[in-house]
Amino acid sequence: MTISIWRYSHLVLAISSFLLLTLASVSGIILSFDPVLQKTQPYRVANFDQISLAETLPVLKKEYLEISELSVDANQFVTLKGTDMDGKNVSAYIDPLTAKVLGKPEKKTAFFQWVTTLHRSLFLHETGRFFIGITAFLLFLIATSGTVLILQRQRGIKHFFKKIVKESFAQYYHVVLGRLLLIPILIISCSGTYLSLVRFNVIHEKKISHKIDFDSLKEAPEVKLTDFSIFKKTKLSDVQSVEFPFSEDVEDYFLLKLKDREIVVNQFTGEVIDEIPYPLTTMMATLSLDLHTGRTNILWALVLALASANILFFIYSGFAITLNRRKNRIKNKFKSDKSQYIILIGSENGSTFKYANALHEQILKSGATSYVGELNTYTVYPKAEHIIILTATYGLGNPPTNAGKFLALLEKKPQLQPVNFSVLGFGSHAYPDFCKFAYEVNNHLSLQKWAVPLTEIHTVNDKSPDDFKLWLDVWSQKSGLPINIAPELLASKPKRLKQLSVISKTEISHEDGAFLIRLKPAGRTTFTSGDLLAIYPANDYRERQYSIGRVAQDVQLSVKLHNNGLGSGFLYNLQPGDTIKARIIGNSHFHFPKKASAVIMISNGTGIAPFLGMIAQNTRNVPCHLYCGFRGASSFELYQKGMDSHIAQQRLTKLNVAYSREQEKQYVKDLLHRDGFFIAKTLKENGVIMICGSLAMQQNVTEFLETICQSENDKSLSFYQSHNQVLMDCY
Amino acid sequence: MRNFYKICFSLLLVLCLPRISNAQTAGTTKYKCLVQMTNYLGEGAYIAVSLINPKGAYEKTLYVMGSDKKWYKDIKEWHKFYSKKPSNISAITGASITGGDRSVTVLEIENSKLNAGYSIRFEAAVEDKEYHVKDIEVPLSTEGLSGKTEGKGYIRYVRLSSI
Repeated sequence: MTISIWRYSHLVLAISSFLLLTLASVSGIILSFDPVLQKTQPYRVANFDQISLAETLPVLKKEYLEISELSVDANQFVTLKGTDMDGKNVSAYIDPLTAKVLGKPEKKTAFFQWVTTLHRSLFLHETGRFFIGITAFLLFLIATSGTVLILQRQRGIKHFFKKIVKESFAQYYHVVLGRLLLIPILIISCSGTYLSLVRFNVIHEKKISHKIDFDSLKEAPEVKLTDFSIFKKTKLSDVQSVEFPFSEDVEDYFLLKLKDREIVVNQFTGEVIDEIPYPLTTMMATLSLDLHTGRTNILWALVLALASANILFFIYSGFAITLNRRKNRIKNKFKSDKSQYIILIGSENGSTFKYANALHEQILKSGATSYVGELNTYTVYPKAEHIIILTATYGLGNPPTNAGKFLALLEKKPQLQPVNFSVLGFGSHAYPDFCKFAYEVNNHLSLQKWAVPLTEIHTVNDKSPDDFKLWLDVWSQKSGLPINIAPELLASKPKRLKQLSVISKTEISHEDGAFLIRLKPAGRTTFTSGDLLAIYPANDYRERQYSIGRVAQDVQLSVKLHNNGLGSGFLYNLQPGDTIKARIIGNSHFHFPKKASAVIMISNGTGIAPFLGMIAQNTRNVPCHLYCGFRGASSFELYQKGMDSHIAQQRLTKLNVAYSREQEKQYVKDLLHRDGFFIAKTLKENGVIMICGSLAMQQNVTEFLETICQSENDKSLSFYQSHNQVLMDCY
Repeated sequence: MRNFYKICFSLLLVLCLPRISNAQTAGTTKYKCLVQMTNYLGEGAYIAVSLINPKGAYEKTLYVMGSDKKWYKDIKEWHKFYSKKPSNISAITGASITGGDRSVTVLEIENSKLNAGYSIRFEAAVEDKEYHVKDIEVPLSTEGLSGKTEGKGYIRYVRLSSI
């Protein structure tokens, strides 16, 4: 499978560094708690930022016989080194205003020292430091290539923080967390790399040396310490250290090491003898150390811990994704020019391969020759009788990476004999451009002279084995090749099931009626109207999804009972008190908007279900206009009751019902047509349209919306779609 | 009157003598010691300060700059002495010093050693770099203690003054 250069480098970099990265991350997590523990000690005095050197130095001089150095650490604890009045050595945290000793600076514990050495050099001295430095740089490259991958996946910077479709746990959180922790990880890797470069002298950190003309130093006029203007001006918070003059010789001086410069001060006159700003390289090194260790800020230290922990997760999830992809690799027995059946795949992350391989194996089993390849490897197949294309769509209706060249190749390399073709698109209705690329491929193929359409184009929603089976049956019948793949092979086992108990259920009043069923989830579950409930009526792979309306903390479904309907029959046979196992699927793209001037809800049949919950939950009284279509008044009866009270409580502004078989025989579309101007105006004023119901209705409605948007607002519907103003959940 | 003066004088002596004799019976003097490093590049230097007898042999450890024991073997000659005759040095151990920095410590030396042919040796080692046995050796004489002694390796100079 061809993978883009970015993905390839992302993988290669990760493989080459994961062992050291694991070590560095684990030790990094531990080390990030060092500053946290330090900062919780009570040695930082109040109003520290206000204290100037002129306030503190004279006090200290009075209280100590000798002071050699005063230093301020990253925690803003002040350490004094010198001799006290009894001639004893002092090295202690002090209060800079009272000169009182607050505590003893403790050495880093042996444990933290051990972890630090491991983190820095793996106990291998220079060699270890070198490898750790390289690892930091690799991490930087991994983060960069990862960013590019996200940009590619999301199609541009503008969509960087848009929703990501969940394909698997590892893939989803790899991308989601990657996006979130991108900046901290870039900072960790850059600062680590910089520190290594300085350590190995690739970046030259110049030491400052003061050139002092000792002959010109004066002892007079003598000025009191409190009146040194440089001491008055300098705040303790800007100081790294103050070195005191060694003796009362004029050639000895105060040396102030500030955050950004060194200043030499005459001990008698207070005159600034020399002042050198630190070179940029030194400042960068300090900044890198601050950022890499989190020693200056407890919150940042915690962010670093989080980012390090996530690197571990990335290593795990990255390998999980890779192994999953490798599982789907192609194994071909026959060459492409010897095969009757050519299966071509367009897939971004390999999930389509499972289907292709199952089909491939079945064709081989039946004794025919078959070849599986990627769309980008398309060429002339002299023995081909059938070409089967299974393709996903990537981003906003674009071809997946391994299919980008296909359309051009198709024009360049016509087959020499007539070949049957069939296209199967994979996608998700969660995206607006459902299977767009598959449709494009189908259109282009049908224009080829050699191409004979064997089946209509089919689509598979959310990897549904049933959708696949549907196509397979048609194809098998048309091609005359008896093939049967048990959907069990393709379905993944339902996971994370929740228990729900039945609260109530309505009875059906007429033959094509619907019913409402209320279920209470056991335990704490967060869900809202618009989410989906997936049930497994036969306790196997077969899944049925229903749109949830959240009513009084319960899950309310509105279900139409079909003859022999697997899901609806199962639900209808439940009695209050029964419990079922089901999965609640978050469906955030179809939640009631947090911000909207008004909401227009459009549904037909049981598509009204999520709206019932949304209206009940609309306590903020956002203007809501419901357009719903039913066959007749009897179908609507089920929902009629609650509507009046919703209107009275202003949770629903206006109710519009269309009956397709009674009265004026209207469809929802006709009601919308009547209110076209109002709908266009709502969109213009940042209102939101939500559509739930059958795909046929969705198509009718979107066609209508497209025209009204063009004529009234001079914008296309996709403009509003991309602004999340048109939300759809149809089936 | 003379007697009065005598009494006063002897009183003064009585008052002052114990202090002087105290210092002398303890027999040590504290020296402030400034070590100024050169601008070398690399890790912090580990420096052992030792008292060297007139025969040139180690007599006593005065100070160790550098607290991690695992690097002590790098200060080779001193380490030979120290491992043969281990003493408790925790009270006279401080931090290592990096290039360009200075360190002020306090050394305590017996007065009997002054002007008796003894010297103070500063011995320096830096990870993965050269080792200097006699980075500096300061003669323990009144003259030697008063001036500034230039170093040969990582130490630019050392200054001492009694407290």
